[in-house]
Amino acid sequence: MDELPGRAGVVVIGAGVIGCSIARELTRYTHDVVILDKESDVSSGTSKANNAEVHSGIGEKSGTLKQRLNVRGNQMYDDFVSGLNVDFRRQGLLIVITPRSLPEGLARYSPGFLCDFLNRRVLPRLIVRSGNRKGIPWLTVVDRDEIFRMEPNVTRDAIVGVHDRTYGLVSPYKLTIALAEHAVLNGARLCLDTRVTGIRTEGGAVRAVVTDAGEIECGIVVNAAGVYADEIADMAGAGGFRIHGRKGATLIFDREATREYVKGSVAEFRITGRKKRTSKGGGAMPTLEGNLQLGPTAIEVDDKEDTSISGDEIREIFDRFHYLLPDFPRDSVIAMFSGVRAPSEDEDFIIGASKEVAGFVNVAGMQSPGLASAPAVAEMVMQILHDLGIPRVKRAYFNQARPTPRMFADCERAEQEALIERDRRHGHIVCRCEQVTEADVVNAIHGVVPARSMDAVKRRTRAGMGRCQGGFCTPWISEILARELGVPRHEITKKGPGSELFVGPAKCLLDGASRRDGDGGAV
Amino acid sequence: MSKVRRPDCVVIGGGPAGLAAALAASSAGLDDVLLIERDIELGGILPQCIHDGFGSIVFKETLTGPQYAQRYVDELARTNVEVMLETIVLDLAPDRRITAMNSRDGLVDIEPRSVILAMGCRERTRHQVLLPGYRPAGVITAGAAQRYINIEGLMPGGKVVILGSGDIGLIMARRFTLEGATVEGVYEILDHPGGLTRNIVQCLNDFEIPLHLSHTVTFIHGPGRVEGVTVAAVDRERLPVPGSERHIPCDTLMLSVGLIPENELSKRADLRLDPVTAGPLVDERMETSVDGIFACGNVVNVYDLVDYVTHSAEIAGRGAAERVLEGRPRKAPVTVVPGRNVKYVVPQLVRSFERDIDFYFRVEHPEKAVRMTVKAGGETLGRRKAKMVHPPEMAMIPASVPGGGSEGVRELVVEVAPDAE
Ligand SMILES: Cc1cc2nc3c(=O)[nH]c(=O)nc-3n(C[C@H](O)[C@H](O)[C@H](O)COP(=O)(O)OP(=O)(O)OC[C@H]3O[C@@H](n4cnc5c(N)ncnc54)[C@H](O)[C@@H]3O)c2cc1C
Ligand SMILES: Cc1cc2nc3c(=O)[nH]c(=O)nc-3n(C[C@H](O)[C@H](O)[C@H](O)COP(=O)(O)OP(=O)(O)OC[C@H]3O[C@@H](n4cnc5c(N)ncnc54)[C@H](O)[C@@H]3O)c2cc1C
Repeated sequence: MDELPGRAGVVVIGAGVIGCSIARELTRYTHDVVILDKESDVSSGTSKANNAEVHSGIGEKSGTLKQRLNVRGNQMYDDFVSGLNVDFRRQGLLIVITPRSLPEGLARYSPGFLCDFLNRRVLPRLIVRSGNRKGIPWLTVVDRDEIFRMEPNVTRDAIVGVHDRTYGLVSPYKLTIALAEHAVLNGARLCLDTRVTGIRTEGGAVRAVVTDAGEIECGIVVNAAGVYADEIADMAGAGGFRIHGRKGATLIFDREATREYVKGSVAEFRITGRKKRTSKGGGAMPTLEGNLQLGPTAIEVDDKEDTSISGDEIREIFDRFHYLLPDFPRDSVIAMFSGVRAPSEDEDFIIGASKEVAGFVNVAGMQSPGLASAPAVAEMVMQILHDLGIPRVKRAYFNQARPTPRMFADCERAEQEALIERDRRHGHIVCRCEQVTEADVVNAIHGVVPARSMDAVKRRTRAGMGRCQGGFCTPWISEILARELGVPRHEITKKGPGSELFVGPAKCLLDGASRRDGDGGAV
Repeated sequence: MSKVRRPDCVVIGGGPAGLAAALAASSAGLDDVLLIERDIELGGILPQCIHDGFGSIVFKETLTGPQYAQRYVDELARTNVEVMLETIVLDLAPDRRITAMNSRDGLVDIEPRSVILAMGCRERTRHQVLLPGYRPAGVITAGAAQRYINIEGLMPGGKVVILGSGDIGLIMARRFTLEGATVEGVYEILDHPGGLTRNIVQCLNDFEIPLHLSHTVTFIHGPGRVEGVTVAAVDRERLPVPGSERHIPCDTLMLSVGLIPENELSKRADLRLDPVTAGPLVDERMETSVDGIFACGNVVNVYDLVDYVTHSAEIAGRGAAERVLEGRPRKAPVTVVPGRNVKYVVPQLVRSFERDIDFYFRVEHPEKAVRMTVKAGGETLGRRKAKMVHPPEMAMIPASVPGGGSEGVRELVVEVAPDAE
């Protein structure tokens, strides 16, 4: 990775989807951009652990910034990903109205025919009308038969539905990596393993960003530090808002058991009564690769690093979807993950140049739908940065494309043969579940933003994401990583320093042996 | 690409099952047998099993895993079975067409006259048992730990908690201790151990490693590397008892929570699977629901002794040879039903009673002084007595139909009952 430079035009703090979207946008106008992140890979924060939904904006409250940016972001998505070699698919969301959709109190004390009328006639039209007013096109009411034609596994209780066709899915970490690489290809510098510890200001203006790897002078700072955006803003004296953590857990199911189990995403429409609206999202979602995902939960946490999943959360997800999808394959969970949302106190995005500190721009409170809004967030922040002096004319040389090596599993037979012909290491499968080859892994390790840990390889290649969850491929991949990075095998980590896979070479714990000496790669 | 190969038989997987199957097919008269193995050497899981305890039935002596495998590898070298190493089978179609791949030949098409599946099994992961907590480094399955220490020369942990008392977990408790690591204890959610008694004695008791029955891990602490686990006692429903939680600092959680047949290719070939074993349904010749595709070893069900694996493989090898050489049409099968205190039986189907058949099965719960029988209608085809049966120890009853006739037999029932005498 890049060494920390002494100075830069703009410093973007945080290499999540938001920071990388902004950095990529910036490189259309200037190459003098530095992206900082404390972790050893991009997309190591919330951007790696979310539900991948590019919502239409239908669930957001009218008049909020996040509603506006979500609708705009969704419209921009096809252009946003073009040239990046990232899958984005508008699979659609089916919003299902059930007897549970009306608030419990209303349903209990109203005559049946009234509830029926409300559910069947009023709710779907209300949803469509309110969506149209927010600027969302292509919302259609679907009757009960059509629901089962579209999604045969949905509860027989379904009354009527609304199909939201602009809704899509994108791989959030692949997108973030692609944006980072595209920015780097266009001149941005990326400094990982670099923690911001302070912001130096002078006369009410930004002067430098202080990190554990040294100082970097700059006139403009973009604070896209996710759950830590409040702390970073406080360092500059440009804060005054608080971000709290709200954890969300998701279960992922075996593709073999759940391919086509839901064809698009499915969510149950619920009016929760008095309870205040919180983070958006939730439902049954297919991943782009075909696994069923169920989640997420929403739990307030004190610790912003709390990416654990509790037994209660697992039970909650099972109970919740027991109704919507009565016979989902409970015994086919292959993975669970959880991420921490970054809501502000009023639940809206906080985007703007600081009034106190010139050159300091906050992009905070980026909870869901942050991923869906990313293109519009970058657009909006760019306007702010132009006002702060970034030229409005595009650079003459901007590389539109971010080429990526073809992955073996993505190819048809003839192309696979050609790949092996060109690189014999494509003939060697190292991850049997996802059919990832040695050459795929080597390419990831030597990519524009190199993969240096097991999880970094996994995010780029899918190796280890299948049903054996790395049981088969970890020995191979740790060996390839060690070989390509030129380090002993026992230094290979799962996700950066502090997550070493091994305590040392064999015999290192026996009397007389010192830990971590010699090379463990005995094969 | 190069031309399509059409051997008599392809064996997929070169573990003890694949080795014995290839040998049996060859000695039963098949000239053109091809054994495909994705690893760099033959033997399957055995090269990493450096402890002894293999072969007590087949060779009447106890060998280490590598020794057991080597006997078959040596014998194979004296036949004309062709071995392709470092070659993975990517696809198997219901019409037996195989796509294999290696870095030398690229993608290879094979259309064999018979196929024997011998891909072994894989380990269940923390997610499959829905273990809550963080996702740090240091959560590892027992078989993987064994591979790291014994084959790769790497030490996966220094302070280890083990969840599950399956045999591999027990073996690894001893192995970790001998390598200088501390094993804090073995936690088992059931009220009886999952592994063989001899392993409890030799691997835990001899090293003073505590075994906590009716206990489970309720949380894995992280986030970078395992920092500890929370353990708790469980009630009859296997739910944690509130207030019984204890925090144990450790850097490794090793899981020995079960094995599942490797069934990717079985599914691709549209074989009918047994929901209990998760492997394909097989008949007395180890032939699956698809004509000409046989299966043996841990791909069918997880056997606890390698000797049984070998036995099943020899039957499959002979079956495949008969199929190719004689090509008789298959008869409609009779189903074998698990009766009282029987979890599952292999084979699940019987098409012919011409030869004696060994029925392998597991009981559902431990029971003392039992009579085990195979019955067809009112008639008893085989019986055995046992002082004690446990779920972890497979039982077997040989059975035969006098005269080999099967007319009128609708279904067979295997059952375990208290011994009246
Ligand atoms: C469970 C869950 C499901 C979600 N589902 C969706 C969805 O389906 N659709 C959707 O639109 N949104 C969804 N979201 C929200 C979405 O994930 C976020 O809006 C988005 O990822 C925010 O990106 P970010 O770049 O702001 O934050 P992050 O990805 O967290 O990036 C912030 C980065 O800043 C770095 N950083 C922090 N402090 C420092 C420091 N001191 N020095 C250096 N670097 C620092 C961090 O390491 C991190 O990499 C979901 C969120 C969760 C938790
Ligand atoms: C850790 C461990 C310890 C054990 N200890 C004992 C013991 O002490 N005593 C005892 O009697 N038994 C023991 N056993 C049981 C015994 O080793 C197994 O029952 C036996 O190895 C199973 O043989 P197999 O051939 O069915 O499977 P495996 O030995 O697993 O062999 C399967 C082979 O198939 C290959 N393969 C899989 N898929 C493909 C593909 N698509 N293409 C090409 N090749 C493929 C694999 O690489 C592997 O080599 C132990 C088992 C394990 C896992």
